[in-house]
Amino acid sequence: MEQSQKTFEILEEAPVIELRDVNKYFGSLHVLQDINLSVKKGEVVVIIGPSGSGKSTLCRTINRLESIDSGEIIIDGVSMPDEGKKLAEIRSQVGMVFQSFNLFAHKTILDNVTIGPIDVLHKSRKEAQAEAMELLKRVGVESQASKVPAQLSGGQQQRVAIARSLAMHPKAILFDEPTSALDPEMIGEVLNVMTELAQDGMTMVVVTHEMNFARRVASRVIFMDGGKILEEGTPDEFFAHPKTQRAKDFLESIKRHES
Amino acid sequence: MSIYELLTQFGDKYLAALLTTWKLTAISFTLAFVIGIVITIMRISPIKPIRFVGDLYVQIFRNIPGAALLIILVYAFPYLNFVWSYYACVLIATSLLPASFCSEYLMAGMNTIGAGQIEAARSIGMTFFQTIKNVVLPQALRSSVLPMTNLLVATMLTTALASQVPLKPTDLTGIVSYINTRTVGGVTAFMISAFLYCATAVIIGQIGSLIDRKVRILR
Repeated sequence: MEQSQKTFEILEEAPVIELRDVNKYFGSLHVLQDINLSVKKGEVVVIIGPSGSGKSTLCRTINRLESIDSGEIIIDGVSMPDEGKKLAEIRSQVGMVFQSFNLFAHKTILDNVTIGPIDVLHKSRKEAQAEAMELLKRVGVESQASKVPAQLSGGQQQRVAIARSLAMHPKAILFDEPTSALDPEMIGEVLNVMTELAQDGMTMVVVTHEMNFARRVASRVIFMDGGKILEEGTPDEFFAHPKTQRAKDFLESIKRHES
Repeated sequence: MSIYELLTQFGDKYLAALLTTWKLTAISFTLAFVIGIVITIMRISPIKPIRFVGDLYVQIFRNIPGAALLIILVYAFPYLNFVWSYYACVLIATSLLPASFCSEYLMAGMNTIGAGQIEAARSIGMTFFQTIKNVVLPQALRSSVLPMTNLLVATMLTTALASQVPLKPTDLTGIVSYINTRTVGGVTAFMISAFLYCATAVIIGQIGSLIDRKVRILR
């Protein structure tokens, strides 16, 4: 009894995303330095830091859109290979939302959401479409289903991109500065969808400059600079009592900017 | 001879020649299109030797004059024990050359697709071929309709190579020599062929812009 309880706890604790001693270079530039990171199921990890700190690279590395030079990336207990079918399969389990939406320009909104389930998960068109409409409703763009991406606002496109990720039933979703390319009035609608996702228990890694979102939604904040993780803690800890001078300076400069 | 005399005497021959030119053009362009797509996929393959072969193909066949290729096929290849009919030789020449241009246009069409869309496809879990099939090729094709229209016209003009070998029925260029060896057709005989080439090109152009307007991708 005690034994099975213990096993259960270990399973529960197994991280969805784990990075072990990950290093990456762009030429001679050491952009990721000995990154160790573990994200548990249902956690919302927000990565912040100045531009050029490596936070976007870290996010893109998690599903191997960027190659790594050493270390290991483990998704739900399975180590990611460098290439091939197996990599594609693991990637399909990790959603990604980009700064520039990256919807397929030649496909309708509905087709953008159904293409993954149909082609990668081999679902029937009917089933995929029914689910896609549900998802589009959930992010509030179901009335746009038959349009093409260029006919939608940035905020709408980004919400479609989130629906496209959700359609794959991912174990986690990565957000790479999802609101940085949006007009101010559209940032809110995207952050609202993300907040709801977090409340529904989605495991999320979010690179963002939206400090209020980090304060309200993050279960953990990671501060990066110079390719290193300098600090890691709850939002309350981090924003109230940053430990490193670099983080203090960063938060100070943001405060000055926001006031 | 006047146009009227030429048409009454050789009208049916011109018609047969026009059909030959059309047929050669249609077959060549279809083959060029298929080969062009295959070569293009090779050129963006993740495997370097395959990319190299694709690039090499384009470099070779973009830079050979059609007449030279035809001469090689007709006169040199038989020494290597490859003997093809004249018709086949013409088709090989008029397909392999435009295929390299087809690939160039597709590559240009691909450049209009942002790297982001390809990353999005990969992050959904699509393999290389799924990404090509779902994202890259459809957009490259839809944004290269106008260059492809030009290529179709250029392919038609390239089929004039057929006049250099004995074909029956001969093509629009060949018919001029046929007439001028039998009677004095003069420049008028050329003009009738030229008009038929032009008319075909105009029709192709119109259909091309019609298709382009239909499939153009909103960005």
